[in-house]
Amino acid sequence: MSVKLSRRRALGMLGGAASGALAFPSLSFAERRAGRVVVIGGGFGGATAARYLKRRNPLIDVTLIEPAKRFYTCPFTNLHFGGLRSFEQQGHDFADLRRAGIRVVHELATEVDLASRRVRIASGPWFAYDRLVASPGIDFRWGALAGYDEAAAQLAPHAWKAGAQTKLLKQQLEAMPDGGVFVMSIPGNPYRCPPGPYERASMVAHYLKTHKPKSKILLLDAKDAFSKQPLFQDAWAKLYPGLIEWVPLAKDGKVTRVDAKNLEVETEFGQKHKAAVLNVVPPQKAGLIAELSGLTDASGWVPVKADTFESTQQPGIHVVGDATNAAPMPKSGFCANSQAKVAAAAIVASLAGREAPKPTYVNTCYSLIAPDYGISVAGVYTAADGKLVEVPNSGGVSPRQASDDFRKLEARYGEGWYRAITQDTWGTRS
Amino acid sequence: MKTNRNFPAARALGVLIGSIATLACAPAAHAQQRDASVLAGACFNCHGTDGRSPGSIVSIAGRPELELATKLKAFKSEPPPAGTTIMNRIARGYSDADLEALAAYFSGIKAASAAPRAKVKGDGK
Ligand SMILES: Cc1cc2nc3c(=O)[nH]c(=O)nc-3n(C[C@H](O)[C@H](O)[C@H](O)COP(=O)(O)OP(=O)(O)OC[C@H]3O[C@@H](n4cnc5c(N)ncnc54)[C@H](O)[C@@H]3O)c2cc1C
Ligand code: HEC
Repeated sequence: MSVKLSRRRALGMLGGAASGALAFPSLSFAERRAGRVVVIGGGFGGATAARYLKRRNPLIDVTLIEPAKRFYTCPFTNLHFGGLRSFEQQGHDFADLRRAGIRVVHELATEVDLASRRVRIASGPWFAYDRLVASPGIDFRWGALAGYDEAAAQLAPHAWKAGAQTKLLKQQLEAMPDGGVFVMSIPGNPYRCPPGPYERASMVAHYLKTHKPKSKILLLDAKDAFSKQPLFQDAWAKLYPGLIEWVPLAKDGKVTRVDAKNLEVETEFGQKHKAAVLNVVPPQKAGLIAELSGLTDASGWVPVKADTFESTQQPGIHVVGDATNAAPMPKSGFCANSQAKVAAAAIVASLAGREAPKPTYVNTCYSLIAPDYGISVAGVYTAADGKLVEVPNSGGVSPRQASDDFRKLEARYGEGWYRAITQDTWGTRS
Repeated sequence: MKTNRNFPAARALGVLIGSIATLACAPAAHAQQRDASVLAGACFNCHGTDGRSPGSIVSIAGRPELELATKLKAFKSEPPPAGTTIMNRIARGYSDADLEALAAYFSGIKAASAAPRAKVKGDGK
C-alpha cells in the first residue's frame, strides 16, 4: 500500500473508523510494529480503554483481563434500592468487546513483571505487553474502621462494589420492619462516587416512604460537607420531610467502631447507634494489583501524569479510574471512561512514535432523588503545567432554584446518560 | 466536507501513515495538538458513541456543522437558551475553536441507521 493515500480514501477510512467497523488491509509489517497492550480490569475504565485502543488502531493487539463474565455497574444500583430497576439491568457482558477484536480473558491478574513487561493471570500464563493499562477500581481498607472486615460485611453490607453485596443490602432493606432505622456510615474523602451515599439515602427514602413510612434514615458522616449538599437537602426537605437525618463530623458523625453482630456503631465521642439495617461505606484505596505492582504512593492511590494518565512511578503503565489520585476529578464511572479515552489516544500515539494529543476530560454525575427528580454536577478538566485542573468557569451543579420540569428533565437525562455510557463502554444495550 | 486542519481525517491519516511506513523525517517538536476525536470522546457518554444516542439525550451525529457550532456557542451565553439543563456548564469548558472543531467532527459522522453497528461496513462517505 502506498503512503500517498488519497484524501477520499482517508475520509472513507475515517467514516469506517468512526463506526468502529473498519476493515483494515492486512499489513504484516505494520502489524508487527503496532504493539501489544494488556488491560487489567473490565470496568468503566478498562473496558473503555480496550475499546478505544482498538478503535484508534485496529492493528494493536489488545488483551483485556477481567475475572467477571458479566460486569455489574455501581451506577444505578441505588435505583435498584429505590425499587426502580432490577438487579439484572445492572449487568453488562463482554461479547461486543470480543466482536471488536479484543481478546477477553476472564481471570484475575495476579502479578505484573515490570522488568520484562508481562502480566500473569491466576491460572499461570503470562501476557507480554508494550504498554499496560490498569483500571482495577477500589479495594477496601479492611480493619481501618475498627470491627469492619470482610466477615462483618456479610452482616452489615457495604454494597460499594456491585454484586452479591448489592443483593444482600436489598434483601435486608426489604426484610426491615416498618419503624426500623436504616443507618449508613459514610467515610471521609476521597472515596468512590462522592454523591453516591446521598443518592442512596434518597432512593432508600423513596422506598421507605412508599413501603415502610414509619422508618427513618440516619446518615453518620466523617465529613462536614458533601457533594451537591444544598440540592440534596432542599430535595429531602421537600420530598422526605423528617425522614433523613444527616449528622456531620462536627456533630459527632464519624463512626469509629462497628459491631456488625449487634448492628450497632459507635462514633468518635462514644455515642452508640442501633440499626435495623446497617450500611457501612468503608475507607478505600486503589485496587490491590496497583499496590502489588508498585504503582501506589503513601496515600494508597496511584499518582499519574496529568496529560496521559501514565504512572509517574512506572513508565509504560497507564492507570485510570478510581485507582488514581486524579483530584480535582472525582472517582466516577464517567471520569474513568473519559480518562481511558485520553490514555488510549496517548498510547496509540506513543506506539506510533507521535506525541500525545492535548487532553480534555469531562465528568458528570447525575443523582436521582425521586423518580422525577434528578440533579447533576459537571466538570471539564485539562492539564496545565503538569497538573490536572478544572477549566475555569466550566462545570458546576444544577441551579438551586429550578422548576419541577427542570428536575424531571435531569431525571430523564440521567437515564439517557446510563444508556449512552454503558453502550459506549461495553457495547451493551440497556 | 469542509477542509479543517483539525479535522480527525488528518489525524486518522497520520495514524495510518505512522503505522504503515517509517517516516524519513522526524516530526518537529511542538505543543500538544488539539485532536477533535479526543475532545469528542467525552460527549459520547451522553450523546451516544459517535453522537448516535441510544436514549433520551439528543443525537448530534450528521447534523449540519453550522447548526451544531451555533448551538454549542450559544450554550456559553448568560442566560443560556431556554430549556438548557447542563450544556451551559459543559460548553463553558471549551474555547470557540474547540467547539467549532467538535461541530465539524460530529457533522462529519453519518447519522444513526437502523442496522446494528457491527453490520455497517464502509459506512464513511
Ligand atoms: C452506589 C454507587 C453509585 C455510583 N453512581 C455513579 C454514577 O451515577 N455515575 C458515575 O459516573 N459513577 C458512579 N459511581 C462510581 C463508579 O462506579 C466508579 O467510579 C467506576 O466503577 C470506576 O471505574 P474503574 O474502572 O476505576 O473501576 P471498576 O468499574 O470498579 O472496574 C474495576 C474492574 O477491575 C477488575 N479488577 C480488579 N483487580 C483486578 C485484577 N487483579 N485482575 C483483573 N481484573 C481486576 C474488577 O473485577 C472490576 O471489574 C457509583 C459508585 C457507587 C458505589
Ligand atoms: C452530561 C451529559 C452531556 C454531555 C457530557 C454532553 N452533552 Fe450535549 N447535551 C446534553 C443535554 C441534556 C442536552 C439538551 C440541552 C440541555 O439540557 O442542556 C444537550 C444538547 C446538546 C446540543 C444541542 C442539540 C440540539 O439539537 O439542540 C449539542 C450540539 C450538544 N449537546 C453537543 C455536545 C458536545 C459537542 C459535547 C461534548 C463536548 C456534549 N454535548 C456533551 C447532555 C450532554
